[in-house]
Amino acid sequence: MTQSLNPHAQQCLQNLMQIWFAFERDLNRVPIIRRLEMGQFDVNDYRALLLNLRQQVIEGSRWISRGASSFDRDYADVRSMVIGHAKEEHRDYEFLERDYQAVGGELAAIQSKSRNLGSEALHGYMMYRASQPNPIGLIGAMWIIEGLGQKMAESWAQRITELLAIENATTFMQYHGDNDDAHMDKLFSMLDRVCVSEEAAEDITMTAQVVARLYCLQLEHIDE
Amino acid sequence: MTVYITSSGHFLPGPAVDNDEMETILGKVHGKPSRLKNKILSSNGIKQRHYAIDAAHNTLISNQAMAAEAARDCLQHSPFTPADIPLLSCATSQGDMVLPGFASLVQAELALPHAEINSAHGICSSSLMAVKYAWMAIQCGEHRRGLVVCSELVSRLFKAGRYEVLSDESVDFNAEFLRWMLSDGAGAILLENAPRGRCFRIDWIKSYSHADAYPTCMSVGQGRDATDSRTWQDYPQYADAEKAGALLLRQDVRLLENIVKMGVDGFLRLIRDGMTAPGDIDHVLCHFSSAYFKSRIFQLMSMAGVAIPESKWYTNLYERGNTGCASILIMLDEFMRTQSYQVGDRIICMVPESGRFNVAYMHLTVVENE
Repeated sequence: MTQSLNPHAQQCLQNLMQIWFAFERDLNRVPIIRRLEMGQFDVNDYRALLLNLRQQVIEGSRWISRGASSFDRDYADVRSMVIGHAKEEHRDYEFLERDYQAVGGELAAIQSKSRNLGSEALHGYMMYRASQPNPIGLIGAMWIIEGLGQKMAESWAQRITELLAIENATTFMQYHGDNDDAHMDKLFSMLDRVCVSEEAAEDITMTAQVVARLYCLQLEHIDE
Repeated sequence: MTVYITSSGHFLPGPAVDNDEMETILGKVHGKPSRLKNKILSSNGIKQRHYAIDAAHNTLISNQAMAAEAARDCLQHSPFTPADIPLLSCATSQGDMVLPGFASLVQAELALPHAEINSAHGICSSSLMAVKYAWMAIQCGEHRRGLVVCSELVSRLFKAGRYEVLSDESVDFNAEFLRWMLSDGAGAILLENAPRGRCFRIDWIKSYSHADAYPTCMSVGQGRDATDSRTWQDYPQYADAEKAGALLLRQDVRLLENIVKMGVDGFLRLIRDGMTAPGDIDHVLCHFSSAYFKSRIFQLMSMAGVAIPESKWYTNLYERGNTGCASILIMLDEFMRTQSYQVGDRIICMVPESGRFNVAYMHLTVVENE
């Protein structure tokens, strides 16, 4: 993290940081994450979490690819960065399926599970945003998704391993910690590149807030 | 009505105790030296501190007496005697008595006649709760002046014997963490409705608590087993609570990073709401340990253009110890007396409390009475 940002991007980053902090507090209020934080999370919770995350994760590379194709020639450099990102993430659901099986889940069950209401809303919103011309707001979505990746790798994976006394069953969560700094550097480069007006900053922060809300909704529906 | 901090004082018991002497005073648990001490000390960076207990674990001065000493030190630098003080607002995380409130006992020690009193209860941030009460009381014209006193005698919780009674005989990291972090002392400030000489105007005091979103991070009253919901008074005998470790001061270190985040979150809120701007701040007095500054979040703040250069930060935590709620007043007192500042300088005091995530801020401006 050595880049300097233009003033609009700096203001945007201040807002994104606050959106992230509010999102972390909201996550802690979602029943399944509250159980995790309070140490009352069991193997059924973990299976339910993986089962409900998979459908959104498997669609994740689709919105990134769609988003990439929505950038026109003026944003060719941004398009390249986004394509690289989609390629890195597009098989990560396989880790998730292996973890599910490692804690006693049936592969067929996770593969056939339909999207919960939150996942449906999140996926629908992402595809809608990604389909708009030059969808720079997606940087706000990436801020939330990258942040979640870090949170899973640095906090949830270890907490789950301790609480459930399991080994080698959090590979999906840990996987996202591996490329953190490189991913964040790319994200900041993109932010500095595209966040050059108040409107752009508003677009990015609005997208981040909606994605954060819908992600919580996805987790809330695990207990519905 | 505008309110000014016109005087300050402190009290630190006994001689400074360096890192090598700490365990001589607090005692070796079951006669064995701590394995965690050096690791914890190197992360908190504290070099010396003061204790109100001796190596035989006698209490040499009570918490309320330390508070009174700090108050007298503060009044000595003012034209007032205790009889002139109509309002006393105090904070501590644990008074000498469970009841009555700490301010009653400090009032008695100070022999303040017919004062209005307030006891703020909590941990580090209770300091600014106590200041805020006095600030608001003077601001709304209830009183012309008031004394704020914050004091801690935490070493009594760290005597080796406290850990030796545990039924499972093992001290977990979370129960030992604060043993090498916290120490004793008291600070006091005088608030008035008019400036006196060179003094500090209180511009605002704000706090944001996130207890609804986070589990408890620093506590006394619950045992090591998180699945046991009993608190200390729910055991048949107090002795049972002690054996279960429910009377130890604990820090859930897994959650500590969140207090840094919430500290930054509060600061960003203040910037967003136009209460302050990073470029306008001349001095930062922050109740934080050094290790936090290496955290990734401070790099993010630099990128976002809201970092305050290290040269503007002042602390005396490393020499006077981390004294809980007393720290910010002990820091402010030494800053007022020893540091150079100009009329118009803006000072921000920050007290992030990990207890259950309350972050408190106070903004001051240096003024001079003509």
